[in-house]
Amino acid sequence: MTELADMQQSVARDPRDRGGPRQPLLSVRGLVKHFPVGKNLFGRSRNVVRAVDDVDFELLKGETLGIVGESGCGKSTTARLLMNLIEPDAGEIIFDGEVVGHDISLRDYRRQVQMVFQDSYASLNPRLTIEDSIAFAPRVHGVSRREAVGRAHDLLARVGLEPHRFAGRYPHELSGGQRQRVNIARALALEPRLVILDEAVSALDKSVEAQVLNLLLDLKDAFGLTYIFISHDLNVVRFISDRVMVMYLGKVAEIGDAESVFAQPQHPYSAALLASMPAMDPDARTEQAPLYGDPPNPIDPPPGCRFHTRCRFADPVCSQTVPSLTPAGETQQVACLMRQYGSGHSCIGLEGRA
Amino acid sequence: MLFYALKRLIYVLPVAFGVSVVCFLLVHITPGDPLTAVLPVDASAELQAQMRAIYGFDKPLPVQYVIWLGKVLTGDLGTSIATGRAVLTEVSRAVGNTLILSAVATIIGFFLGCLFGFVAGYYRDSAMDRLASTLSVLGVSVPHYWLGMVMVIIFSVQLNWLPATGAGPGGSAEWAWDWDHIRHLILPAVTMSVIPMGVIARTVRALVAEILSQDFILALAAKGLTDRGIFIHVVKNAAPTALAVMGLQLGYLLGGSILIETVFSWPGTGFLLNAAIFQRDLPLLQGTILVLAMFFVLLNLLVDVMQTALDPRIQRG
Amino acid sequence: MAVGALDNKNVIAPIQVSDGYWKGVLRRLMRDPVTMGALIVILLLVLMAIFAPYLAPADPFKSSMLRRLRPIGTPGFPLGADELGRDMLSRLIFGARLSLFMGVTPVLMAFVIGSGLGIFAGYVGGALNTAIMRTIDVFYAFPSVLLAVALSGALGAGIFNALVSLTIVFIPPITRVAESVTTQVRNRDYVEAARASGASGLTIVRVHVLGNVLSPIFVYATSLVSVSMILASGLSFLGLGVRPPEPEWGLMLNTLRTAIYVNPLVAALPGVMIFITSISFNMFSDGLRSAMDVRA
Repeated sequence: MTELADMQQSVARDPRDRGGPRQPLLSVRGLVKHFPVGKNLFGRSRNVVRAVDDVDFELLKGETLGIVGESGCGKSTTARLLMNLIEPDAGEIIFDGEVVGHDISLRDYRRQVQMVFQDSYASLNPRLTIEDSIAFAPRVHGVSRREAVGRAHDLLARVGLEPHRFAGRYPHELSGGQRQRVNIARALALEPRLVILDEAVSALDKSVEAQVLNLLLDLKDAFGLTYIFISHDLNVVRFISDRVMVMYLGKVAEIGDAESVFAQPQHPYSAALLASMPAMDPDARTEQAPLYGDPPNPIDPPPGCRFHTRCRFADPVCSQTVPSLTPAGETQQVACLMRQYGSGHSCIGLEGRA
Repeated sequence: MLFYALKRLIYVLPVAFGVSVVCFLLVHITPGDPLTAVLPVDASAELQAQMRAIYGFDKPLPVQYVIWLGKVLTGDLGTSIATGRAVLTEVSRAVGNTLILSAVATIIGFFLGCLFGFVAGYYRDSAMDRLASTLSVLGVSVPHYWLGMVMVIIFSVQLNWLPATGAGPGGSAEWAWDWDHIRHLILPAVTMSVIPMGVIARTVRALVAEILSQDFILALAAKGLTDRGIFIHVVKNAAPTALAVMGLQLGYLLGGSILIETVFSWPGTGFLLNAAIFQRDLPLLQGTILVLAMFFVLLNLLVDVMQTALDPRIQRG
Repeated sequence: MAVGALDNKNVIAPIQVSDGYWKGVLRRLMRDPVTMGALIVILLLVLMAIFAPYLAPADPFKSSMLRRLRPIGTPGFPLGADELGRDMLSRLIFGARLSLFMGVTPVLMAFVIGSGLGIFAGYVGGALNTAIMRTIDVFYAFPSVLLAVALSGALGAGIFNALVSLTIVFIPPITRVAESVTTQVRNRDYVEAARASGASGLTIVRVHVLGNVLSPIFVYATSLVSVSMILASGLSFLGLGVRPPEPEWGLMLNTLRTAIYVNPLVAALPGVMIFITSISFNMFSDGLRSAMDVRA
């Protein structure tokens, strides 16, 4: 915990910092994105996928926030919404106290927030050399070619690729791990304060994954970065994150300190998800399959609590009332009616920890 | 499935509308207005204005279009300037002849194309493959009107086996299924079949090669399936696509028969188009093109729906 | 050399500047004898067109009633004479000029217009894309020969009108290919990353889209040249393109059509030229496609 406090202090020394170490770097309020699917005969959509539905969270300066959840839960959509690669239907993003698109222009915001994608190959232009790919963003922001290429070479060195060997190569001449290092260098080329890593290590071999994770930690210290780390791999998230956010069907189920969430999950879904994690200790193996079936169709999510169709503690009230995030435990917030006093759930007060 | 067919049909309507606009505008992109071709050069300004009013050419284009479309929908394609007969009569007489020629050509092309394509795909990278592939490249590259001339030179002029022009004895324009008429069909149909032959051979070769490289064929062979069994599997998997390509080719031939029909003086739509162009018979030109284009649109629709019905892998809702 | 190559692990690697994509394409093309052969034939035809006045033994316009339809091998007329007694060899050589021009120009024009339209539609997406692509669908609803004949029939005969008609025929297919390739590229992560860096749409198209879409569109366009050659000559054959007395292979076929009873070999010659040109373009395009179809 003090580590994070140190990190916050050092991040706050950044000349671009505005609100001091206590002000969240990012506050997300009521973020909504619905995708229309299927068109009827008149070209109008019949249904929407509620990919992200009223998501709130805060990102502290200097921390790594892990976002976990099954595929289709809205992790990647959240990332793309934060980058404004897709337009949100509702909600606002406040970056270091400034409302994006209002107090701070999209262009200035994007300079400070960058992203690393999962597919290391698809995220590099096959027709550009490595140095041109990295130098592209600074060039867009008016840096001279010579300086941009110089910066590209520095960054290549920082991510562990010798500039004189790699700068002139094309993406297909690199291994997956090397390409992902290039993508990280490319994301750092604009000197961002926040880097969103969307399944950035998921496609890599385990040994390479560990190297890249260590690189990410080093870079974070060196450049005073804040990370949002999206992954389906719970072990990796536990290793790298300070705090963790669990998402289910476009909603936040639980958010809190990584250690507390992993040790004492408050939401039945978090508990089930963590129980499905392969344990290192054979004695601690799971006895029963914690989650049955697939998540329901996000086109037509269940009413009330979205998890009630798969939850062992489901009560009639769960299909009627939408739970809101309420504090639980020391550091956690959870969206579960069992933790919400006065919700009418029969398990309230039973401490029926999942 | 029925829903899909309906959806496709509704999707086709705007295309059909666009096609009608293009056909309508065809007459209006010509220098001057359509009347200049018919009126005597020394016609008085008064007479010209009168004629213009009679034909409705004095009204704004969108109004003219709506009037024209209304007539087309009731089956009135106008009157041929050259013959004075209704365009619909002229076109429907010619369409039958073109259909016979294109259909026979497509069938010949389909069988030859499947044969070459199958052999090439089955014995991939062998000498047979190279031969079949070369034949199909030749098929798509040959200027078919020239090939028609070469056929005439060989089989009519030199060998004197088959007639060079016309659809029947004595320049008969009425088709009948007797030997005298079929003799006239052979050369143009064989010439025309070269185009679909090349295209279908290429498609079938790719299909067969792809199917044979798939795991399930290997599994079938491992299970001891005979060559004949494998052959049936390949045919089952390749048939929907091959048939779809054949359907589209028939459409191309219907619309593109003008060159072949000119070479062989075949009394079909191409021949009619040729005459319409050189006599500046714009109503006839417009009507013929409209009918052929609509044929093509409908054929496309039909092929698409049939392919969906035949191929269980295509799921369209 | 071989020994040194085995033991380079601990040696500091030299600066490795990889050769670009096009060098690889060129290398693969050079190794493909069929494609190279086709390319050589095309180059020879182009040279023949350029240097026609120096190569042709006689004046292609000089007619003589006495020498009509001389057979191949007549002294002074190595490939015979046409229906007006003009030297066939000279007319075939001069014919390359108009024939190649009429075949290649429409595809070039359509490449420029169709790529522009398709890339625009593909990158912008949304309602504009729908509007453009539905319009293109309408032209797609005409078989190519019919559309070419209809347009030049309505516009009237002549080189310019034939070029316009053929250009219109080739714009829809090229636009479709351009649109679909651009849509694919637009959704790639590197375009997303470029957008995330705050680059403008124009910059992204210039740096990240064009380089990745132009070559597949170009390869597709080369495959149309063969069709265009056949169609252009076909229009002239119908009397809708080049007008007499200009030498053009399709028109020559038309005027010699009645001569098949007198001198069939001479009458078929212009078609041989069209055939050679069309097949060379076809094989070159096939070879180019496979040479470029390596994920790079």
